[in-house]
Amino acid sequence: MANVEFMGKSFEVDEDGFLLKFEEWTPEWVDYCKDGEGIKELNEEHQKVLDFLQDYYKKNGIAPMVRILSKVTGFKLKHIYELFPSGPGKGACKMAGLPKPTGCV
Amino acid sequence: MAFVSSGYNPDKPMENRISDIGPRDFNEFLPPVLKNNFGQWKYHDILEPGVLLHVAESGDEVYTVRCGTARLMSITLIREMCDIADAHCDGYLRFTTRNNVEFMVDSKDKCDALKKDLQSRKFDGGSFKFPVGGTGAGVSNIVHTQGWVHCHTPATDASGTVKVIMDDLFEEFTNHNMPAPVRIAVACCLNMCGACHCSDIAVVGIHRKPPLIDHEYLDNVCEIPLAIASCPTGAVRPSKVEIDGKQYKSVAIKEERCMFCGNCYTMCPSLPLSDKEGDGIALMVGGKVSNRISMPKFSKVVVAFIPNEPPRWPTLVKTIRTILDVYKADANKYERLGDWAERIGWERFFEKTGIEFTPHLIDDFRDPAYYTWRQSTQFKF
Repeated sequence: MANVEFMGKSFEVDEDGFLLKFEEWTPEWVDYCKDGEGIKELNEEHQKVLDFLQDYYKKNGIAPMVRILSKVTGFKLKHIYELFPSGPGKGACKMAGLPKPTGCV
Repeated sequence: MAFVSSGYNPDKPMENRISDIGPRDFNEFLPPVLKNNFGQWKYHDILEPGVLLHVAESGDEVYTVRCGTARLMSITLIREMCDIADAHCDGYLRFTTRNNVEFMVDSKDKCDALKKDLQSRKFDGGSFKFPVGGTGAGVSNIVHTQGWVHCHTPATDASGTVKVIMDDLFEEFTNHNMPAPVRIAVACCLNMCGACHCSDIAVVGIHRKPPLIDHEYLDNVCEIPLAIASCPTGAVRPSKVEIDGKQYKSVAIKEERCMFCGNCYTMCPSLPLSDKEGDGIALMVGGKVSNRISMPKFSKVVVAFIPNEPPRWPTLVKTIRTILDVYKADANKYERLGDWAERIGWERFFEKTGIEFTPHLIDDFRDPAYYTWRQSTQFKF
């Protein structure tokens, strides 16, 4: 697995660019990811989604279902795609440092 | 090769982005004779194996020549199909729901020339590129999956097993010798992508050993509750494991409850379970989707395990051939394989085919298993 160096920090990532360890997440990781995810500038709404994903993951051990993400943040799926063009899984979960989504995706 | 841009700008990924346009309208690709007679067909006839004739109210005729394909194919082969379509069919062709390719022409002369051309084309190894057949009461193409070509959960191969089965049943593809159509499907794991659960004969890859647990990485790459909830028998539970003095959050698997379905590996990369000797094939028979005479049926497991024997899978091929030969000789006209087995009784099915009945075949999954046992004195010795 590859190591990414960014702003003095080192991150262990897999071939799809997901963090291998949730504990290694730092705010620099989000800055590192945002270009690859097609995000110019992070605003409060981005932050709200990322914070919720991390809280939910810490509490429940899984990523939230899309409906729960929408309900809690108040953002419709369409708006989540506007914030994270690659979508809640590939975009938001990756930036939040959650494990790569699995199953028949 | 050097990088050649398509015009996409990675710095502005959403600029000039086209999305949600859906597939092209099928009307754009209809041959004129189909377009003119759309919804106006009077009757059809199977002229010979692989050749259909449809006649419209207007008197127009369409001859269809159906050819087998390997489903997995190169652009070179697709181009060759396009060349054939250009030469004989004004550039039109279509693929069927069983991944056969159909060429359509509007007269008998053109049809004969087309058929001759198709049958003359072979690969360097000698196999037919476009074998004509797959109609009526025969064995058409095999609906199959990815296998070792592309998937990460298979217990067997798809393209390989399909090739050897179709080699053995080639005569049935190019003839109408069966009592009714025989549908064969291959799935390389219990996910059963495709049509295995509802085919006359189904080949399904199975495992026979529980997953290995990669404790050190499991919590990092898996969402543990998902792995627990993925288990149909409740064999997975959360646990803490100590390795070299370090505590890891992980799972434990009750091996006597595990039936090796591999669902937990689908959800969690740290639970791999494929195994060279353990993996193999279960054979199912008797499913159908049509409503003709009897209701649609699920296929049933009749052979619990056949080992993987690449590249030619001789035991698998022989077992399928045996079942088909007995069915062909014994079933009534129009009787699908499942209809036949239910009419004569499953005990007779096993007797006639010589397949061994093993305890594995008796359903033991939850309450519905009970309904598959025999609550009657009606049986044959």
